[in-house]
Amino acid sequence: MAIAKAERLMNLALCLLGTRRPLSKRELRDSIEAYVEAFGPGNGSAGSDDSFNRMFERDKDDLRELGLVIETVESLDGEIGYHARRDSNRLPPITLDAEEAAALGLAAKVWQQARLAGAASGALQKLRAAGLPEDVDPYEAHGALEPRIPVHEAAFEPLMLACRDRRPVVFDYRKATAAHPEPRHVEPWALECWRGHWYLAGWDRDRGAERVFRLSRITGKVRSRGGRFTAPVPDVVTVRETVASWAGETADRSALIRLRTGAGYPLRAKATAVRELGDGWDELEIPYGHGLDAWLVEFGPDVVVLEPAELRADVVDRLRAVAKG
Amino acid sequence: MAGKPVRPANAIDQTRRMLSLVTYLRERPGARIEDVARAFGITEDELVSDLDVLPMCGTSFRGGDLLDIDTDGERIWWHNPAALGAEAAEPLRLAADEATALLVAARAVATLPGLREGDRQALLRATAKVEAAAGEAAGASSRLSVTFESEGGVFADVDRAISERRRLWIRYYSPARDEVTEREIDPIRLVSVGHTYVEAWCRRSEARRTFRLDRVAEIRILDEPAAPPEVELRDLSEGLVQPAAEDPEVVVEVGPGGRWVAEYYPHDSADELPDGGLRITLRTPDPASLRRLALRLGRDGRIVSPPDLADSARRAAREALAAYDGVEAEEAREATAPRAERQASDGGYDGPAGTPDGGAAGGPGDRSSGVRYGRQFDGREQGL
Repeated sequence: MAIAKAERLMNLALCLLGTRRPLSKRELRDSIEAYVEAFGPGNGSAGSDDSFNRMFERDKDDLRELGLVIETVESLDGEIGYHARRDSNRLPPITLDAEEAAALGLAAKVWQQARLAGAASGALQKLRAAGLPEDVDPYEAHGALEPRIPVHEAAFEPLMLACRDRRPVVFDYRKATAAHPEPRHVEPWALECWRGHWYLAGWDRDRGAERVFRLSRITGKVRSRGGRFTAPVPDVVTVRETVASWAGETADRSALIRLRTGAGYPLRAKATAVRELGDGWDELEIPYGHGLDAWLVEFGPDVVVLEPAELRADVVDRLRAVAKG
Repeated sequence: MAGKPVRPANAIDQTRRMLSLVTYLRERPGARIEDVARAFGITEDELVSDLDVLPMCGTSFRGGDLLDIDTDGERIWWHNPAALGAEAAEPLRLAADEATALLVAARAVATLPGLREGDRQALLRATAKVEAAAGEAAGASSRLSVTFESEGGVFADVDRAISERRRLWIRYYSPARDEVTEREIDPIRLVSVGHTYVEAWCRRSEARRTFRLDRVAEIRILDEPAAPPEVELRDLSEGLVQPAAEDPEVVVEVGPGGRWVAEYYPHDSADELPDGGLRITLRTPDPASLRRLALRLGRDGRIVSPPDLADSARRAAREALAAYDGVEAEEAREATAPRAERQASDGGYDGPAGTPDGGAAGGPGDRSSGVRYGRQFDGREQGL
């Protein structure tokens, strides 16, 4: 039976961490049982050398994902050596009290995405190994509060990595009202989750401008592109403001409507003025932003738009479409 | 407590865990399996599987200095802790993903409106310390952010009621019925998933309900003690509401402009239509609550079945139109021209334009409420 990957990675990590001098690829290959078993001793055929090299590269990448800093040193006779120096891999001293430990325990369980959930647990385990207090069980301390970060979008992980590594990407994107997706070339800056949905902000290369994308509208795979970012990354990327303005939260005008008494509580909650008309109707002044027409139509015959005329027309138009249905 | 972290069994996570484990065990000879599993947030089985691997590991296989770690089923013994050397057992620095995962989550929770000040301060202190310890690895954490929405005042009252085990009186808005009702609830827990909800035992319906905090119109903490029956807490990772198999089926056909329906409503199927639209089949305990959806969709979609639902939307639209007289209807027709133009413009962002993400629309939850959360607001039991 092949030796499990975790055992192989663990041995490679311990060898690299434990050595006082850089170890050559040959030495590592000869001292880690998983490599010996899979590829034989270091002077095997060219084919097994190639597959060993591929596995060795992947393993190093995996350990780097875990945070290991692996240095490469070239010796006098030109041989490459590898080691993970203690001083570059040591966690700096960190002292957390019981309350802080409980707070981190709560934070470590909010991710519902496998990679980040694993990373958060891993961070907490490293801190535990460094002496994080245990007297408070993090899973009980805040028992009554359960924050969860939902991630349902397949595009999340590749975009998270691309943002982290500042790699340009290309993906097919279907705009809100478009019948078909089209490819978008993007330099991804930041991801933000608002109201349970993920958005990407970045530089749209084709349009030569900043754009915000909703991850659920990305169809197909996110592919990495070579090369670097061509546009400067802003210090502060504000995804939420953009999305909120599209969601109509940044209303700059107001509308006047009639609302049946007792109906439309959320409209009342947003109203800047309410006047009882006494005939079973109230008159409300409400903020008028993007999307208000669609919302008002939901209330059917309980809402009548008075002004502005443009909003009134939009609502009538929508009602007609439904009435014809 | 339900909901331990999602922990996929994969080699990366196991390696990461074992590296911390050797550091941890070195300091604690004879550590109890139960305690170590709890400290690491893993099951005892997972820990035992790690203990099976560790004796196969060492700084050098050929050198013969494998870790001599074993367990009697209760305690863990490491017979040659010197095998690693003092240095090789030091705690490891945080990786970029680890720092990001912890910091982004901690920052998100710290900004929850209504969180107890003591908890917020502890989160902020811990965040600052982890940032400092992570150093460069913390850099990429600014590229990810999460906002939880909550009504601070309502949150604080619910939180207090839970910790003091007291009953709450609320006036609550149900979008499905467009009505505000009064009820007494025994709160069980607060759940934040984008929006924040309180899961509670509703005395009026004698059933478990979930209430979204921004739909609580009024709240009072009562003197009576809360007495929720023992209910098993559900795992919320699959979403707050999953339709039940016996719920009536609704079929909606939407054009490209109505594709958002598939993003907001849990559905059984969404089949592509030739015009770029979708035919969506979903289930809801209360199809009448979807009249709002039919009205909102307008020309972007229609209810195919059940027919009564489609009829009720048509009737509602006709009744609403009667309030606008003929002259104004003419004006309306003329005024539609500039509207089309507005929609055609790119507007600078490919955000949720034209979708109901709409805060103007009171938040996406309002749309999703029809089905996704509606069952809870309708006071239907779910998930049991």
